[in-house]
Amino acid sequence: MSAAAITRHLAPAFITIAILGSAGVTPAHAQSKPQPRASNTKPRPSRSVSIGGYAMFGLISFTAAESFDATLGTTSGPIFGGGARILLPWGGLFADVGAWRFHGEGERAFVFNDEVIPLGIPLDVTVTPIEISGGWRFRIRSLPKFSPYVAGGFTAMKYHESSDFSEAAEDIDDTFGGYHLLGGAEYKITRWLGVAGEASWTTVPDAIGESGVSAAFNETDLGGTTFRFKITIGR
Amino acid sequence: MNDLSLPRAATSAAVVAFVALWTAVGHGQLSPAPVVKTMIQETGLPAIDRGLRDQDPPREARTALNADRIRKGNDDTLPYVRGSIIVKFKEDATRGGISAATAQVAGALADRSSWADFDIMAIPSDADPESAAAAMRQRADVEYAQPRYLNHAMARPNDTLYANQWNFPAIDMERAWDIQPGASSSIIVAVLDTGMAFQTATLRYNSRVPYRLTPFGPLNPPLGIVSVPFAAAPELGPSGSPRFVSPRDFIWNDDMPVDLDGHGTHVAGTIGQLTNNNNGTAGMAYNVRLMPVKVIQGVWDDIFGSPFGGTDDVVARGVRYAADNGANVINLSLGRENGGPATVVTDAMRYAVSRGCFVVVASGNSRLDGNEQNRLAVAAPQIDGMVAVGAVGRTLDLAAYSTTAPYVELSAPGGDQRRGGTAAGILQQTLDLDQIEDYTRPPRADSFAYEFFQGTSMATPHVAGFAALLMQQGITNPAAIEAAMKQFSTDKGVAGRDDSYGFGLINPRATLRGLGLAR
Repeated sequence: MSAAAITRHLAPAFITIAILGSAGVTPAHAQSKPQPRASNTKPRPSRSVSIGGYAMFGLISFTAAESFDATLGTTSGPIFGGGARILLPWGGLFADVGAWRFHGEGERAFVFNDEVIPLGIPLDVTVTPIEISGGWRFRIRSLPKFSPYVAGGFTAMKYHESSDFSEAAEDIDDTFGGYHLLGGAEYKITRWLGVAGEASWTTVPDAIGESGVSAAFNETDLGGTTFRFKITIGR
Repeated sequence: MNDLSLPRAATSAAVVAFVALWTAVGHGQLSPAPVVKTMIQETGLPAIDRGLRDQDPPREARTALNADRIRKGNDDTLPYVRGSIIVKFKEDATRGGISAATAQVAGALADRSSWADFDIMAIPSDADPESAAAAMRQRADVEYAQPRYLNHAMARPNDTLYANQWNFPAIDMERAWDIQPGASSSIIVAVLDTGMAFQTATLRYNSRVPYRLTPFGPLNPPLGIVSVPFAAAPELGPSGSPRFVSPRDFIWNDDMPVDLDGHGTHVAGTIGQLTNNNNGTAGMAYNVRLMPVKVIQGVWDDIFGSPFGGTDDVVARGVRYAADNGANVINLSLGRENGGPATVVTDAMRYAVSRGCFVVVASGNSRLDGNEQNRLAVAAPQIDGMVAVGAVGRTLDLAAYSTTAPYVELSAPGGDQRRGGTAAGILQQTLDLDQIEDYTRPPRADSFAYEFFQGTSMATPHVAGFAALLMQQGITNPAAIEAAMKQFSTDKGVAGRDDSYGFGLINPRATLRGLGLAR
């Protein structure tokens, strides 16, 4: 099984685990609620805002698998990125802004009866989504350093395609709107440093498919499934 | 000799002369006359370059009506050769059945020719070949039968260097060459035509019978034995160059398909003229190897009594020969508007495509002459890997002469001198027409000039060269080449495919560039 296929299978499972895992847990901030003391002082919910950042790397498996395979020779590839996360003072609510980048090199092609004929003309494709997410973090009482989370949000997918022998107008440099769902879990190694694994499913409908090999394969979605590993900094 | 005897003698002489000519060029196809084309030496003087011929007046594109053919000088206006037909018996035909078929038309089967999966059946000279072929088609053991229809080249020369070659910028060739610079010697393009100026030699011919150039024109005396100097066209490559592969002459039945007309050399120039050599004109796929296959006779071939003419069976053999000898692309700037279907040629084209050859055929030049269809092109829509090509002029509008028909699949520059004069034709180096079109003295085929020609014959080699570039770029399946050409063509005329431009004007640059992921 290829890495792409593994990613495709793992991602939904990962999201599911994150959601199910959260069923038996309490919101993260509930965990931090001060324990009732003998005194008459009422417990006060935390009102602090926590800001953190992360770097990530991983793998994306594109929904338009035939189109990417026809031109780049692969349906998946590595991604690198980073972002910032704000833990809001309302339960486990958080907001996240992240971006990552995929870059692939291949060649232009002609498709005849579903047969892909490579033409030897170098082609560069760069996909750079900016993801704005809102989600909920959970804390497991028995595993205080472990925080599953789920989120969803809007994706602004920047797509760049260029090839040799192209005029500027023939290259593509455009941004398309889509959305994503993600799930994962973070493990705090120290108070300020953690690691996280997450899977994300993104759809960017009608971004491709009007021309190019994507039209030949009738593939219109520029989204895909990603599996990411994050290094987080912040509380 | 009294007064009456002179006209009678003259008439008798003329009749004898035409009978002799008829025998030499017509019936002779079954029993070839002794070879009267002899190599004297394989060397000769350097080729003469007479430069640009842009002051010559425009001439019409070739059709059946104006095709140069000596055998039309008498009462013979028939579109086929008398005295024989083409028959293909089914594989399970018995010897008895074949004998019965032969007897049915009082015929006789000749030995099967090379590169033929069909037979030539002799029939009485006064029998109607179309009726005889129809009778054969009624038989259960016959796959097809047809007269030996005559074909002709699809353009006629006119008159002059890259700045004059409007046709290449018109289809964005400069940017196409950036992507694919002229293909390579691994691609072979067969030029089935009137021959090609590919060899330096001196050949001896024997002009034995009087001849007329027009139906009722003056009778020219035979020229006797003449030595004709040939040279390779400087812009095609030097004589003996590996650029020229597997030459074959089906008109003279030898391996010296030299050009005595200029049409084939011009067509070959558009496909593969040497380019970026600081000289002359450019060609579409200037690095390919060229296979000269002569299947059409010129006027001089007729005058010299070539044993074969450009009949369907000869063209079919040429197509099969090219396919069997490594051709990747076959260019047929020829055809005929008269007669019935060209089954034997269509069959050969299917064979060629099955062998991986891309076949390109001229759509015809008859729009101003009744718009009769080119019988060799009609099968194009049914064969994936074969295209029929119409012509556009300098304005990229349909050329006045370009036949409109359901089989037209693509358009390419063929020139239109009705709109733009001489320079609106297609310029390539070819034989110096001043040296070969004076039929009262022996020709010289070692003198060259840059001539503007027009016709779908000129459009066709653009597509053949284009196919060679695509093959070099990686699209080798003939059907895929056809699909790519159509997909990226520039739509002209009525939206979508139409009978004038087919799917549109070829767009080599866009086709070679292919598809990105999203654009």
